[in-house]
Amino acid sequence: MIEAFPIFLDALSFVLILVLVASGLVIVFGMMGIINLAHGELFLLGAYTVVVAQGFGAPFWLAAALAPIVVGVAGLAIEFLLVRFVVHRPLDTILATWGLSIVIKQLVVLAFGPGSHSVAVPIDGAFSVGEFSYPAYRIVLMIVATAVIAGAGYVLVGTRFGLLARAVIARPGTSASLGINTGRVTQVSFAIGAALAGLAGALVAPLISVDPQMGLGFLVPAFLAILVGGAGSMTGLVAGGGLVGGLDSVLGGWISPVLAQITVFVLAILVIRLRPGGLFPGRGRRP
Amino acid sequence: MTPRSAPCISATDQMLELADIHAGYGQVPVLRGVSLVVEPGTVMGLMGRNGMGKTTLCNVCNGLLATASGSVRLDGHLVTGNPAFEIAQQGMATVPQGRDLFEDFTVDENLGLGGPVPVEIYDWFPGLVPLRNRLAGTLSGGEQQMVAIGRALARKPKVLLLDEPSEGLQPSVIHDMGAVLRRIVDDVGLTILLVEQHVELVQAVAGSVAFLADGVIAEQVPIAVLSDSLNDNEGPVHRHLSI
Repeated sequence: MIEAFPIFLDALSFVLILVLVASGLVIVFGMMGIINLAHGELFLLGAYTVVVAQGFGAPFWLAAALAPIVVGVAGLAIEFLLVRFVVHRPLDTILATWGLSIVIKQLVVLAFGPGSHSVAVPIDGAFSVGEFSYPAYRIVLMIVATAVIAGAGYVLVGTRFGLLARAVIARPGTSASLGINTGRVTQVSFAIGAALAGLAGALVAPLISVDPQMGLGFLVPAFLAILVGGAGSMTGLVAGGGLVGGLDSVLGGWISPVLAQITVFVLAILVIRLRPGGLFPGRGRRP
Repeated sequence: MTPRSAPCISATDQMLELADIHAGYGQVPVLRGVSLVVEPGTVMGLMGRNGMGKTTLCNVCNGLLATASGSVRLDGHLVTGNPAFEIAQQGMATVPQGRDLFEDFTVDENLGLGGPVPVEIYDWFPGLVPLRNRLAGTLSGGEQQMVAIGRALARKPKVLLLDEPSEGLQPSVIHDMGAVLRRIVDDVGLTILLVEQHVELVQAVAGSVAFLADGVIAEQVPIAVLSDSLNDNEGPVHRHLSI
């Protein structure tokens, strides 16, 4: 039993990180229907914000608080300069955001070099119960991630802004004729999605090597988690993230990472084939 | 953002004024020179066969569809070319065909999308009070139409565009809706453009009727003329509505 506990905690921590990374994507892709292939690079910018801020001597938590602001502003600029022109043409959106992801990656390479940077773990030590111990920062990260995911869910479901965002996503024309500035709501929603990606990048930075390719490794499972869970709701994302991240992590730890990946993809294909709307089909966006 | 209000005030005191509107979809023209005025506090019925462009005309008025040429004035202000949300903020409200409610929002959430809900809404539609926390998608057709009208009125508009409100409703519900609309017009002096095929509803609410045919206003008559000529095979209803 005691041997299974670290595997369970690892899986839980991986799931929460995955859901945290994907929570911005669930707004931008799941609800607004924008296939943003540069979402992984927004995550990357969050991590590099921490690298830069720490370079100036800022403590980790200040740097982590700065990341969503920096990346949120970047998201606002991306929406204003690029996304709003292609948003009604999905194929062009894919190409444009893919191009943007390459540009961001190369700019990061030019500015920081192709190598990896490391961010010092802000909380040293381990959390111990009896003979079992687990890194303290991972425990803190799980708590913070849970709070952020719950907070993002609350903004979408429990606030007036969330109501307007869901209205604009469901019926843009009707929303506009009710006096809602649909362009503004879309812009702010996109920026919130970007800010969440930036926050995720900052929080995960101490656990991974921060390098220009780090976005892709999280983008694919994040999209997968949303598709499996059902686009358009935080509930779906938590379910999808739990299934994708949990299986990957548990099977990877027990058997082999390759077999875990194969299982996850086969299962994802099965779920999407049998339930095209995912496990919890969102009611956000209508075709 | 403050609405871009056009500086040009029209010389007339019309509430809604359409001048030589040309509009359509892609290369297909639907409206070919529509001119129409609706005076403040009056209800104008707009009738015509299917496909004549009644909904297109509504979408030109509320800014959802761009005009090829022509102008729309709301309370004297030129609104042509303004974004739809600004035209709505300037006082144009729409009850779209098919209602377009947010089915997974509650009645109160639907009513409050444009801003705080004025108390009059529940005076006019007391039937909605016990339904305030119900999801709009679970309501009957008549109840949904009340929500759609209430949602449009919650912004206290100057002009209400009603696009086929009787669609899919049973006669008694249509009758009640006519009475409520009449009361609202009398209460607050609302100006309505009522797009309808249902002659009885137009008779109950409108003061005059315009007939849209082949993309232009073919004829415009006071409501008494419409009522008197219902059995007349040469009358406007038969000319413009019968197949």
